[in-house]
Amino acid sequence: MSVRTFWRAALCGIAAATFAWSGTSARAEQVTIKVWMHEHPPRIPIDKQIVAEFEKAHPDVKVDYEVIAVSEYATKLLTAFAAGAGPDVFNQTVSLVAQYYNAHILAPVDYAAMGYADEKALNSQYTGGFQGIRFGGKLYGVPTEVSNYACYLNNDMWKEAGLDPAKDFPTTWEAMPAIAEKLTKRDANGVPIRRGFDFDWPSGPVYWLTINTMMHQLGASLVDESDYKATYDGPAALKATQFLVDWVNKYKLGGPQYTDTRTDFLGKKLATDCSFGIWGIPQMHDAKVNYTVRPLPRFADGKVDEGYDSYAHYMMVNARSSPAQQKAAWEFARMFIDHAAQLFKGAGLFVPRQDVIPLASDADSMVFLNELQKAKFAPRVVGYSQVVDVLTRGRDRMIQGGEPVASVVPSVNKEMDAVLRREKARAETLLKQ
Amino acid sequence: MAAVHRRRVGHHWWGLVFVAPVVAFFAVFNLFPVVFGFAISLTDYDLLDPPNFVGLDNFRNLLDDELFVTAFWNTLAFVAGATFPVWVLSLLAALLFNQVFRGRQILKTLFFLPVLPPVVVVAVVWRMLLHPNGIMTWLAGAFRGVTEIQWLTSTVLAPLAMISVHDWAVIPFFMLIWLAGLAGVPRELREAAQLDGASPLRTFWHIDLPMLRSTAVLVAALSTINAFQTFALQYVLSTGPGGPADSTLVLGLLVLRYGFQYFRMGDASAISVVMFVIILAVTTIQLWFNRRVA
Repeated sequence: MSVRTFWRAALCGIAAATFAWSGTSARAEQVTIKVWMHEHPPRIPIDKQIVAEFEKAHPDVKVDYEVIAVSEYATKLLTAFAAGAGPDVFNQTVSLVAQYYNAHILAPVDYAAMGYADEKALNSQYTGGFQGIRFGGKLYGVPTEVSNYACYLNNDMWKEAGLDPAKDFPTTWEAMPAIAEKLTKRDANGVPIRRGFDFDWPSGPVYWLTINTMMHQLGASLVDESDYKATYDGPAALKATQFLVDWVNKYKLGGPQYTDTRTDFLGKKLATDCSFGIWGIPQMHDAKVNYTVRPLPRFADGKVDEGYDSYAHYMMVNARSSPAQQKAAWEFARMFIDHAAQLFKGAGLFVPRQDVIPLASDADSMVFLNELQKAKFAPRVVGYSQVVDVLTRGRDRMIQGGEPVASVVPSVNKEMDAVLRREKARAETLLKQ
Repeated sequence: MAAVHRRRVGHHWWGLVFVAPVVAFFAVFNLFPVVFGFAISLTDYDLLDPPNFVGLDNFRNLLDDELFVTAFWNTLAFVAGATFPVWVLSLLAALLFNQVFRGRQILKTLFFLPVLPPVVVVAVVWRMLLHPNGIMTWLAGAFRGVTEIQWLTSTVLAPLAMISVHDWAVIPFFMLIWLAGLAGVPRELREAAQLDGASPLRTFWHIDLPMLRSTAVLVAALSTINAFQTFALQYVLSTGPGGPADSTLVLGLLVLRYGFQYFRMGDASAISVVMFVIILAVTTIQLWFNRRVA
């Protein structure tokens, strides 16, 4: 061996050793990852089991797992990120991910850490669900729940009213008031003491989903996500809004003064509710409700055959965490999504994965799956909470303030547009920084 | 001489050591947030990205901000409803309980009960009482057959409901302050007026009321500040914080909404600064008026 060959071999050896070391340098020492999840009681024991399995499979990673109440989850996440104490891996609903993306909080998916060759390999396990977490052509998270609403009918109440839940559920919104009236029980003054069907008025996000869905059915949309422009105008907006206002003020079949529909449906004070997802099935069994699931009605002159908009929860990784923590976080995310079947069976969290879809083959679940295939995602915009507030304020002006739909809708559209313009300008400024 | 001076200085330092914890606590938990809040009001800050200095833009924008204007007028209306009636009714209650009659102590104790629970508890209880088909509807509609009144979901009734519940809860507290003031009025003055043939109304007008001036300023200042800072009632009692249609949206609630729902910390802090200035101005005017009349 010549001296030159010796030095070449030595250099190659050093380079190989350095490369090998750098490959594991991300976790040369014990790593702790903070995992934050929103509260969903049936999921918590499965979470804990996944954490235990993960720590066993990765003895060099410790998981600091925390569950946070839904009502304070968004605020706690933001204040934690502001203080530089945010979690390394967390889940959140699709409506808020645009804000995190614009603030550079989200790390792009690390396919290697997750054990996938590339995005195609990850996608091959799913039939959809990634639209909500794709920005600029890249994925920034993996779905842990993809859902949509459909209508649950209380069979006993329907039969008591002389209706067959399998046949008589209306396919159009126009037929809905008459059916709801048959199911409604009123006192001597005509005040409903049991509602036949009602919209979930107290929830702003559900109102956003409802009106956007109705506009989709009529071939329009509430917001143009790509242009950050409010499109709550035109005949579709007026028709959908007028229907909702008439529901309360003309037909007097319900309204914002009532308890939220989920509580009343499970409490058997409401005969029909369209604000549960597939995850509602275990709740129906727990509440001993004899139920049937039906697709959401459409407008008779609707242009698109579509039920409720879909929404999702995603598991995301904090781009501000150290490289070692990010790598461990994506490994954790992989283990989490590999429990998708168990999460569906035990906690009702559906994701359109090849191993989960066969588990949802009963007639009720199939209603959700069929609707999901037609559903669009609700728009993802920064300033989502403000837009929802503008919408609900407009709703209250019409329903409780008695202002005409024709004058409120344009003013709401203008207000929404101003919010979106302002937030877009801010987001663009931030993205340039 | 030098020894005495050293001892004095030593005493001085010991004093500072003893007050230091309180001063430090005040500085960290009171002074710093106030100064920090003012600094944030000059920035565009969404919690996720570093604050961006914008000067007085947030204050200028408030003038064109419909939500701020709505909340400002709602707050003023609430302050009006939560001060003038409270002053009069609490004074009347104090005059009543200042008389000697059978069962006075028991009645006074019962009257004081609404002050004891926290505002949130008061709001939760009243939320049930004001249910569209609840007890208040039954009481109000008993003679007319009405079975549903939209106390909290009507844009007209909801703000009035807030004021009524607030006044119900605070009148007994201010009654106690008036009672303390009335106890300080010398009995001889009243007796002299009565001997001179003054009616009870004239005695009250010319003897009690002038003597209650400093109490009146205290009641006015406390009730005004309290009303401007209102938050919990509108948050818990309304149908959705500030609803319906923002008819019960007050400045305190708007700070929360801007700060922790819209993540516009700069705007939220600017509103806080405006609230601080308004309360400071109102209190200063009240104190100045008191001194001037005195």
